[in-house]
Amino acid sequence: MSKMRLSQEGVVFALALSLFVVFSLTLNNFLTGGNLIALVRSVAILGVLGLGMGLVVIGRGIDLAMVATMVVSLSWVLSMAQGGTPLGTALLLGLLLALSIGLVSGILIAYADIPAIFTTLAMGLVAYGAGRAFLFQIDVQNTPSGVPWFSFLGTGTVLGIPMPIVAFGVVAAVLALLLRRTRFGRFVYAAGDNAVAARITGIPLRPLIVAQYIVTSLIAFVAGVVMAAAVSSMSTRVYNSTLIYDVLLVVVLGGISLSGGRGGVRNVLVGTLLVGVLLNGMTILDITYTTQNLIKSLILLLAITVDSFINPRDEQTSQQSQGDI
Amino acid sequence: MTIRKLLTAGLIALGMALPTLAVADDGLDNPSRNPFYDGLKGKRVVFIPLAMGFDLTEGWAAIMRKQAEDLGYTLEIRDPNWSTDAGTRALTALIADKPDLIIAHNPDVQSYARLLKRAMDAGIKVIQLNLESVVPTDAYVGADWARVGYIQADVLTKQCGTGSGKSGKIAIVRGQPTAASDLYELYAYKQTFAKDPAIQIVSEQAAQYDPAKARAIMETVLQQHPDLCGVVGNWDNQDIGAGAAIQAAGKADDIYLVTSGGGNQIGCDNIEKGLLDMIISYDVPLQGNAINQQIAQTLLSPAAAGETQTAYYTPLTPLTKDNIGPRTCWNLDQLK
Amino acid sequence: MASNDTFASLRSRYLPDHVIGEILSKRWIDNAIPFSALVLTVVVLGTIIPDFFSVSSLSDLARQFAEFGLVVLALTVVMISGGIDLSVASVFSLAVLFSLIGVNVYELPIPVVMGGILLIGMGCGAINGVLIGYLRLRAFLTTLVSLIIFRSVYEIVFLRMSTSIMSGFSMSELWLFIGEGTIFGVPTSLVITAVIALAWHIVLSRMRPGWRLMAVGGARRSAFNAGIDVRFMVFLTYVASSTMCALAGFLFAARLGSTGSDTGVGLEVQALTAAVLGGTAIGGGRGSVAKAIIGALLVLMLTNGLINLGISGPITSTILGAVLLLAVFVDMRWQKHRHRILAKVYVSPAYLSLPPAPQVDAPGSPYALNDRLRSVEIIGLGEIEGPEDVILDRNDNLYCGTRHGDIVRFFGPDHKRSEVFAHIGGHPLGMQFDRDGNLLVCIGGMGLFQVAPDKTVTKLTDETNRSWGSIVDDSRLRLADDVDVAPDGRIYFSEATIRYEQEDWATDALESRPSGRIICYDPRTGKTHTEIPKLVFANGVAMCRDGLSFMFAESWTCSISRYYFDGPKKGKTERVISDLPGYPDNINRASDGTFWMALLGMRGPALDLALRMPGFRKRMARRVAPDQWLYPNINTGCVVKFNEKGEILDSLWDLGGLNHPMITSMREHRGWLYLGGVSNNRIGRYRLPDADPNWCAEDEYWGQRT
Repeated sequence: MSKMRLSQEGVVFALALSLFVVFSLTLNNFLTGGNLIALVRSVAILGVLGLGMGLVVIGRGIDLAMVATMVVSLSWVLSMAQGGTPLGTALLLGLLLALSIGLVSGILIAYADIPAIFTTLAMGLVAYGAGRAFLFQIDVQNTPSGVPWFSFLGTGTVLGIPMPIVAFGVVAAVLALLLRRTRFGRFVYAAGDNAVAARITGIPLRPLIVAQYIVTSLIAFVAGVVMAAAVSSMSTRVYNSTLIYDVLLVVVLGGISLSGGRGGVRNVLVGTLLVGVLLNGMTILDITYTTQNLIKSLILLLAITVDSFINPRDEQTSQQSQGDI
Repeated sequence: MTIRKLLTAGLIALGMALPTLAVADDGLDNPSRNPFYDGLKGKRVVFIPLAMGFDLTEGWAAIMRKQAEDLGYTLEIRDPNWSTDAGTRALTALIADKPDLIIAHNPDVQSYARLLKRAMDAGIKVIQLNLESVVPTDAYVGADWARVGYIQADVLTKQCGTGSGKSGKIAIVRGQPTAASDLYELYAYKQTFAKDPAIQIVSEQAAQYDPAKARAIMETVLQQHPDLCGVVGNWDNQDIGAGAAIQAAGKADDIYLVTSGGGNQIGCDNIEKGLLDMIISYDVPLQGNAINQQIAQTLLSPAAAGETQTAYYTPLTPLTKDNIGPRTCWNLDQLK
Repeated sequence: MASNDTFASLRSRYLPDHVIGEILSKRWIDNAIPFSALVLTVVVLGTIIPDFFSVSSLSDLARQFAEFGLVVLALTVVMISGGIDLSVASVFSLAVLFSLIGVNVYELPIPVVMGGILLIGMGCGAINGVLIGYLRLRAFLTTLVSLIIFRSVYEIVFLRMSTSIMSGFSMSELWLFIGEGTIFGVPTSLVITAVIALAWHIVLSRMRPGWRLMAVGGARRSAFNAGIDVRFMVFLTYVASSTMCALAGFLFAARLGSTGSDTGVGLEVQALTAAVLGGTAIGGGRGSVAKAIIGALLVLMLTNGLINLGISGPITSTILGAVLLLAVFVDMRWQKHRHRILAKVYVSPAYLSLPPAPQVDAPGSPYALNDRLRSVEIIGLGEIEGPEDVILDRNDNLYCGTRHGDIVRFFGPDHKRSEVFAHIGGHPLGMQFDRDGNLLVCIGGMGLFQVAPDKTVTKLTDETNRSWGSIVDDSRLRLADDVDVAPDGRIYFSEATIRYEQEDWATDALESRPSGRIICYDPRTGKTHTEIPKLVFANGVAMCRDGLSFMFAESWTCSISRYYFDGPKKGKTERVISDLPGYPDNINRASDGTFWMALLGMRGPALDLALRMPGFRKRMARRVAPDQWLYPNINTGCVVKFNEKGEILDSLWDLGGLNHPMITSMREHRGWLYLGGVSNNRIGRYRLPDADPNWCAEDEYWGQRT
């Protein structure tokens, strides 16, 4: 019986698979190479952000400042580039900015003991506001013209595969190696599973937490580069959208528990896949953008409901110190 | 003796003539000058934009600030940062605060309407800038959105309508569906497109001024309608997202994208890059001058708040690849 | 030396050190930091913004608060139960939209619209509630998804209806009254919110459902095990939350009469910020209406103030973010260190100077040591724990309390068999029979109870009048200790201390502060009042035979006093004995017209000296672990017999402490003396050689009966 029991990842994967099969059978141009590439490309940036979020969530954290980090660092980069700074230098400075946002969040969480959810929520506000106020005035920054290698990052292809997908793949592979093959990865799992025990066994818990947020900010920066190159601009208003919630959903749907210590890169891939299949299928079905949002979230709700039937919780175990997340 | 007499006479004549000469050189004191400057000095004008930090509001603010400094009235800015709620809060606070003039940039036709009326009842004069509400106030200065809509729709009808040999499929990317620009433009689109049976509106979705959302919408539309012919958008800053999606799909040459905007250099750059095909420009520097003129006029007008209502629709210029030059568009540094 | 003493005595009498600890121990102290932040915000904004306090700007603030406060309250209710509701913002905007559709487009009557909106709110809440409460989904995730679902519905409907909403306009009087009207000068919407907030305050702090809610949030597992329907409670919180948000949306629609595509976006973050700023814990169990209101006001004033100051949007968001960080940081530190600070500050010893203790081993001393209690008969060894008091009825049945909250009855005459006579739940301390044979019991932590002969338990009283200026709530009975009944039925009982619970009695000894009292309950009126305040650990109470006065013991002053509650000396207290060698506990009548008194422990010179050095004891309490403090010696106790003049007549000891090291109570009954001890596991029975073999206390009190 226990072998038959599906994990949440399994549920979501099964759901994604069945949707895939249904769409393949019913929709004419679903199962074409071009469409499948479009499918993945449309969720690649979401996926990259999801990978970053996945890392901190495994370490029993959360980073709601990811989108702000991405938006602010890239807007600054583009603004500097517009102002005449060489793009390479600007990118380097932007990277430093992103990393320092992660560093500050990490320090506040690890050393000042402020819950991650509030730290990063507030850091998002602070970074966004300070960026808009001091680093650049205009809220939509365009990419500088005449830098083909930069637009290649967003619109080019490698072996026929668009760059956003390549970026997604590379980040996923690197993160998988990091989590499974390095001491850092092991420690992240240990800390996420039981922070106190990890600390007692001698893991440098606080530096580890700081490191997680730095890596996540790095990933956010990468996602920002791809995004800016793909849309050929960066709008700070992305920060006001529900993107961060979508990122969180991809992570949690895939089966990375918000209580930490569980899951991996595969879970993010599965979560992203479900969202991708859904969006693509609905697009072909000629469903409008707003309705797509509704259907998407209903399917997500279905997924977590099914999971609750397969893996029920009870009153004895359902309360956590950080609230019922 | 005679010389001395002459000299004396000459000196006397000179002495008498000098004051006369001086009077003649003083010219004329302009009697209407003082009331103008005195009437403006020390007045308080408050501007509530949708948000600061984008080309239109920054442009207007720069021009308005210049005149305010010049003429000695104060210009304050309350920045709601895209939040209608914050805007209404700022407005309610201002009604209690009683400045001389409020310049409102309405996020939609109704949210501020009641409050603007209350402000006028409280004796505060109100000018609406570029986006109007359903309540007419002392003045409106800005684009005639219906006309923008008709021009855009006519352009697209020419590009995609009967006789163009194209599919006739058109997507409308709306901005904020409740804003004046959207409502009046949409009416114009519908009226115009209805006249041409070849035109078919395949999508009508709101991007809410967000280029990322515009891109997402356009990607969807392009998948559904690979033979799309034209896109009409609400605002250039938003529609570069749509343009990027079209370019990414490699259809920049097949799909004609017409939008409107303030004629900022970025818009011109985007036309050059091929992201946008046409911008109906309402020319922010011109609008800035018009609003400055209106501010002075309204402040000086003896009429009570809300007593008279005027409107000035600023000129429109279609910008395309063919007519833009290095000086067609403006950038913020020039205005400052 | 003497002047030092005088100084210490004056200082401890007039400097209320204990007040600091008591203030820190209040629950509302949690609100102190957010509240001072609020006051600071008001002061700062009030000085820099002109017209901040003008009527119109206050009324605008009030209307905005009415809506935002409701949303924060909604979130608070869910957070108290240990959940979180992110969907508040979407429910709010849905309500705004449907209100406007109802009013502007379909022109429905306003009450119908309002009813419909509340139903929509309940529906949304029920969805969340079923998923989270009954299907046990994770709250954060689920409400995150429902946030997006409701938002999508909003956007779809909004797009279709926006034009007709904009073109419609309602002239309904009621609609205007809700949106712009006032009731006695107070904005209508604020009145509505105030009523709801008040109702929640009463429910949360005064009513059973509210307590259950707190329990579910504080310790879900324990709540479940205690039989609370956790699932239903959780379900209800989400329904309540969404309904309140819907109402807030309705009020918003009435005020502004319009909606934009960004209505309600980001409201969940604002509400969460407000809730946390107010001090509501994210893990549940901590939160109140006051906290919600403080937090909501703080966030609202801050955002409004920053907008009105003309500060640009981005800087506003930076400031808000920084404030949130700071607030959570301070709150975390406060939560972490509060108990530590409290533990250090609360214990506040007073100056107490005891007369020299009598020499118990001096020849001729009435306290001469002996071992007469060593060979007592043992009753109920190992069957009972902690018989603080024992009592016997006319039929020779023996009653005692136990630590487990039972009153155990041993059947006479041999006391071999026993039964649980009554279960009350708290540790029974003093006991007495009244005229009708009801057993009156003081229960530590609960109050005064009565057990009828048919075993029915009645609570007589658990509160008294609150004294003026008290910081600790002294209306609740914390440690009712011993009880006796006047001939007219009035019940006098002692409360040892109002500052500590029963298990911390030793800390009260360290303090030796007058924080006990004698309380009177009058069964004829059902009223309770404090008869004698400010006693140092008031303990035993026993009626004198004149029917006008009673003897009472104050443990830490080692004294016995007599108080006249009737007669010519009414209201007077006379000191009867002031130099006991130990700490007196219960007092009861003896058969020969005298009294028995138990000494629970003996004085020692070290503690006696320390009692005159409050500063020393305070340092000790701060710096030394509690198990190494100076305590009364409770390893040896005795029973003393004394008369009304205060002469010591006899004393009974168990020096080796084999059977009765610590004695807290004794009863004479038909020639035997029965002994109880609060930490003993037995009752002792000692044969009194010269006592009246037929004397029974109940008979002496209430007369012979068959």
